[in-house]
Amino acid sequence: MHADALSALGNLFGDRLRTSLETRICYSFDATRKTFLPDAVVYPINAEEVRQTVLLANRYRFPVVPRGAGSGFSGGSLPVRGGVVLSTERMDRIVTVDTENLYAVVEPGVVTGTLKEEARKKGLFYPPDPASLKFSTVGGNIAECSGGMSAVKYGVTRDYVLGLEAVLGTGELLRTGVATAKGVVGYDLTRMLVGSEGTLGIVTRATLRLMPLPETAATLLAFFPENRKSADAVNAIVAARVTPSAMELMDRTAIDCVQALMPVPLPEGTGSALLLEVDGPEAQVAREADLLTEVCRAHGAIEVRRASDAQGRDELWKLRRSISPALLRVAPVKLNEDIVVPRSRLADMFAFLSDLSARRNVRIVNFGHAGDGNIHVNIMISGTDADETRRAEEAVAEVFRKTVEMGGTISGEHGVGISKAPFLEMEVGPLGVAVMKRLKACFDPNGILNPGKIFLDEAAVRG
Amino acid sequence: MRDPDLKALTGLCAKCGTCRTVCTLYPERKAEIAVARGKVALIEAAMSGEDGDAAAVQEALTDCLLCGRCERACPNQVLVEEIVMKGRADLAEEVGIPAWKRVLFGKVMASPAATEIARKAAAAGQRLLPGKIPTASGLHYRFPDGLGGEGRTIPKLPAKGFIESLGKGEAATGEVMLFVGCVFDHVFPEVGRAAYETVKASGKSVAVFRDAACCGLPAMVSGDRRSATGCAEANVRRLRAAEPGAIVFPCGSCLLMFRRNVFSLIPKGTPAYDDAVSVADRAVDYASFLLSSGVLDRLPDPPPGEKVGEIGYHDPCHLSGTLGKGPEAREVLSRAVGPAFAEMAGADLCCGYGGTFNVRDYPTSARIGGNKVAVAARAGTKVISTACSGCVLQMRDMAARTDPSVRVVHIAELVHQALFRK
Repeated sequence: MHADALSALGNLFGDRLRTSLETRICYSFDATRKTFLPDAVVYPINAEEVRQTVLLANRYRFPVVPRGAGSGFSGGSLPVRGGVVLSTERMDRIVTVDTENLYAVVEPGVVTGTLKEEARKKGLFYPPDPASLKFSTVGGNIAECSGGMSAVKYGVTRDYVLGLEAVLGTGELLRTGVATAKGVVGYDLTRMLVGSEGTLGIVTRATLRLMPLPETAATLLAFFPENRKSADAVNAIVAARVTPSAMELMDRTAIDCVQALMPVPLPEGTGSALLLEVDGPEAQVAREADLLTEVCRAHGAIEVRRASDAQGRDELWKLRRSISPALLRVAPVKLNEDIVVPRSRLADMFAFLSDLSARRNVRIVNFGHAGDGNIHVNIMISGTDADETRRAEEAVAEVFRKTVEMGGTISGEHGVGISKAPFLEMEVGPLGVAVMKRLKACFDPNGILNPGKIFLDEAAVRG
Repeated sequence: MRDPDLKALTGLCAKCGTCRTVCTLYPERKAEIAVARGKVALIEAAMSGEDGDAAAVQEALTDCLLCGRCERACPNQVLVEEIVMKGRADLAEEVGIPAWKRVLFGKVMASPAATEIARKAAAAGQRLLPGKIPTASGLHYRFPDGLGGEGRTIPKLPAKGFIESLGKGEAATGEVMLFVGCVFDHVFPEVGRAAYETVKASGKSVAVFRDAACCGLPAMVSGDRRSATGCAEANVRRLRAAEPGAIVFPCGSCLLMFRRNVFSLIPKGTPAYDDAVSVADRAVDYASFLLSSGVLDRLPDPPPGEKVGEIGYHDPCHLSGTLGKGPEAREVLSRAVGPAFAEMAGADLCCGYGGTFNVRDYPTSARIGGNKVAVAARAGTKVISTACSGCVLQMRDMAARTDPSVRVVHIAELVHQALFRK
């Protein structure tokens, strides 16, 4: 980076500009465990500092990579072209929680779990719940349009973003959307920004929709002999006109992972497990939990466990919440995909994956948000065996082709980043890619914001 | 960075970010370099030859309280404390350890006689300090500014340490061994005495371990492996030779040293390692010993009364967290003081002491600790009890600075009061 650029940033940020190798190393990674060293890290505390940073970037032509908690799974916050990592962790104020109009205004560095908790204290509910909610930030969630376990009932991050304030690639401060329940004035620029992975703008403030807090909830953990039975149960539950607030499917491969780390007693013959949650008024929750238990039993559940108190529910959730981090015990490198297929094709996809694993001779661990048809496909490799890596990459390509063929999407909630850039066109087609690029040029003509993401010709090599 | 264990230990980190949620230091720093994930990345980079400046990496590793909260929250069970301590030790060989630390850990604290002389000198010297603060847990002096943090206070040191106050031949041999620890011997001898007399009340004969060198933890967390290993080996050899039954530790950090940390200092297959295993098997925290000894059965019913809920318990990170001995102290308190004990607000938050961390960055240490004491006091706790020497030191300082009416005690003092009250 140009020395003048660094000194201008120094004037702007003082000791909140860090250029030591140690700090740069600490902002070189995310949960993909890939590393790209930035040239500098800045910690802005307001929108004006973000704006000034982007203006400098236009003047000196350096990349600006926004980063929340660095917990993403597609490389969205990796500075693949160097430049400045703009960490939002010090823009972490909850500005308002409006209990009359049911919205919150927050800065991007607010941890999602903190917002949920603040809303809860006022009897309100911010539903999005990515597995990383205790540490990932609202800004990062918006950039990636994070989903979560409750998406089956409540939708994903985009369904709660009413309006945004964002610094565009030009350095202009754009305000989009509304703070009201409705709003259709002009193009929906809010949705344009949600899920744009920091390539169109850097969110500096968000207005988020809140809901009344559900009165109570119950959690069920059902054990099945095989995936096909649990997938059938999922479809039967939907047909029974119950919408659980979570429907998480774990197959044997995933259960084994967690078992190695923290044993949960399983009934004999378990080959698949379904974690279900229902929320709402007490009487309804009890009735629906009974109904779910019945449906699971009718579809071959070996055992159904149920908890209504916080501690018991937490205990049941443990199995599900521990999978992702526990995967590392299986193999040091995971190719972590988050495909979505129509719910009715779940069982077919699981069968395909099982066959693929055998055929390509790679270990694949599957779990996911069955209610959404969203499967986390984790191909586990050593990273040191070139042939195994090649087989794994071929397997990924096969999974994506099959997904698109089934009418699904190659990423439900992790985003494209660098991991899926090579497959963008496979899903959206050449015109789709071309229109996206035109939009990118409109928001960020000089290619300042998070370069090297989403599009293949700009993407770093998948590694 | 050469320690071969470090590669395997750091390799388990998935960089998921869970450590950010529990790190005691993160809210103070709001930067990735403060949390476990950042430190792991630094060590990984250093191992791959990317380290520019060993001193800067050491500085980053030193900026950690070793409270272990990240380790306990980590879904992958990454051994963060061990990684940080090993990293510090490795880098200490490259960048060196300050001379004052070498002398303190290697010479003074490794020798009971030298520690006693040092205390006497310090006790004489501190009388010259001008500011005195009477607190509910004893007199504190205002520490001169510019010598280790604005506003620091230090407890009035006693003329005699606990072990020094024992009669000749008193508590020389016994069925149970008491490992008092430096702080409860030399700084707060009343705690050492309370622990001794309450353990003795179990009916067993009690020997007080007199040859004690420092447990070695301060040296170990400073990366001074040589001094730490010296202390550890001397201690386990002498403790094993004394052939006691249980070895009782009033201090959770000393206990951690003998239960866990010694095994990363003393190589497997050496005689010292066997000694360490034998000592670890018999090392027990004060509260667990009291519960198993039956001494609490003799207590009269605790007085009901007006003091309901005013005594709280602070969880020492090493004792309650790493060693999992939180319920035992609470059970002891419930039986010793009855309804006066109640769960304290923020009980499991780190007090911010961190041993040498408190010396290195007193302002941060004091903000964390001051907040801890203030939260408890606001919620109605008047007496904070605990079971670790570092926590007692820190919270007595914090109380002296912010609210001298808050009393900070070791649980042994409360048990002593209950057993021997007139």
